[in-house]
Parts: sequence; structure tokens; C-alpha cells
Amino acid sequence: MITGTTQKIPIVQGDFAVSDAEGVVISTVLGSCVAACIFDPVARVGGMNHFLLPGNPDRDGSDQSRRYGVFLMEKLLNGLFERGALRSRLQVKLFGGARVLDARSDAGAKNAEFATNFVTNEGLTLVSTSLGGLQGRRVEFAPVSGKARQKFIGMAVPEPEPKKIKRELESVGDVDFF
Amino acid sequence: MSVLDVLRIMVVDDHISSRMVTVEALQQMGVKHISVAKDGREAFQKLNAEPVHLAISDLYMPDIDGFQLLRAIRAHPKLAKTGFIILTGRKDGAVVQNAVKLGVNNVIAKPFTPDVLKKSIESVVGRLH
Repeated sequence: MITGTTQKIPIVQGDFAVSDAEGVVISTVLGSCVAACIFDPVARVGGMNHFLLPGNPDRDGSDQSRRYGVFLMEKLLNGLFERGALRSRLQVKLFGGARVLDARSDAGAKNAEFATNFVTNEGLTLVSTSLGGLQGRRVEFAPVSGKARQKFIGMAVPEPEPKKIKRELESVGDVDFF
Repeated sequence: MSVLDVLRIMVVDDHISSRMVTVEALQQMGVKHISVAKDGREAFQKLNAEPVHLAISDLYMPDIDGFQLLRAIRAHPKLAKTGFIILTGRKDGAVVQNAVKLGVNNVIAKPFTPDVLKKSIESVVGRLH
């Protein structure tokens, strides 16, 4: 536990949380998923997301999964900007992307690669990463100070795509006419 | 000559990755003339110099956002008829109502599929193929 924690916000896959409150710690548990912890040390605001690119990029083409990943990263960034963060000051820590044994493709590596590319493309500062390996991770992040802690928690297990992602991807078929 | 040979579209988004996603979807549709802008201010300046048929803009952007850009375009004598599609991660009733009031042509929820984007564009400029 990070010292001085007064409130813990657990997040699950497909979620994100942003806070500028002292004492808040955002936490999650990762297998092949990746969590991006992003903070602005001057505005003292930060946030974390937790994502797994849906689909099989090798089979379906990477377009759909990349669109979803970009969307989740953008939601976190916009949440930070709304609380006074500036893009030029943002620092990023990436966790997760473990290889799950018995899985046909290394989804963890793809999630990690996507996250790293996103940070590079957006010109954000990557200050630390703990990506890959075979073990799952429990990650805690204090958004105000930017401090993060991780604990390895045994072999990574496969994470199913949540229904929420499927719903979101399927619910966008409507076009409104004004 | 098809619509795709002449159609000019501008993509406005502050996130490079989101811009790339939209631009790539347009390229796959066969749109040949695509310009980009990183926020509403840059978009308005570029549109003044080189107008387009359709602007596809993110809603939430620093400085000048999608609503402000739409308002500026509709108030501009030469640009007023530019087609305008808003992309947003929060497509709720208030956003849609406000967008319609300002004269938007369509609102798309992110993450979108290329098919939705295509339908939305065709609802503004007519069939692409």
C-alpha cells in the first residue's frame, strides 16, 4: 500500500479513473492487459486506464483493436486535460502486457506494443515501463504524486474480453440524420 | 470522374493517434484529398486558406473545441456551407442537441467503425461510390 492512502479506487478492464485528490490510490490487477498511468506533476493530477485490445489482430486485421485502444487512451487523456493537465507536462508509466501461457498469440506483447507506440506518437514522456514477462501484476498508482507500485502476483491468466467492449463496438452502427 | 476524385475532407483532432485512425479510414474509403488540423484554431486558419467540402472534427479539444469551430464556420460567409461531422466519446442528448442547434450535419460516437463513418459522410455529401 502506498503511504498516506485514504481512498482506493479499483478499476477493471475497459475502465479508467482520474483524480487530483491527495490520498487517492488507483489500483488494478493485470495479466496480458496494459495499464497506462499518466500524470502531470505540476497540475498534480493523474489517472490510470486498463485495457486489452479486443479481437485477434493477426486474424481480423489490427484496425478495430487499434481504434478501441486509441479511444481508451483518449478518454484518459481528455479526463486529465479537463482537470488542468497540459500535454507537454504529462509523464507516462506503463505496466502489464504479460504473456499468458497456453494462449495462441501473445496478446500481452501486442497490448504493450500498442501502448508504447501510442505514447511515442502522441509525443508524451515515457518515464518507466514494466511490460511483458510471464507474471501478472497488481499495480497501485497515486495520481497526485505520480508514484506507482507494482507487485508480481503469480503466473498471468487469460483475461476474457468483457461484454462491455463488445457492446460498445457493436452499438455504434447507427447514424442519425438531422 | 467520381465524387472521390474531387471530395476534400479535413480531419480535426488534438490526438495524433485519433487523427491517424480517421485519416486511415478515409483513405480506405478512397478519399483522395485529406487535410488535417490539430485543433479548432489551426482548422479555421487552414479552412480560410483552403476550404473543404466536409470537416470531421473531434469535440473535446484544448483552446478552440469542436462546438466553437462549428460556430465559427457557420458564421463565416464563405465557409458557412461546409459539411460538419462531430466525433465524440460522449454522445449524449445534451451534446447532440447543442450540436444540432449549431448546425451540425452528423454526430458520431467514438470508437466508430469505418462503415459508420462512411454512412455518416454519405448522409452529408451523397454516395461515394
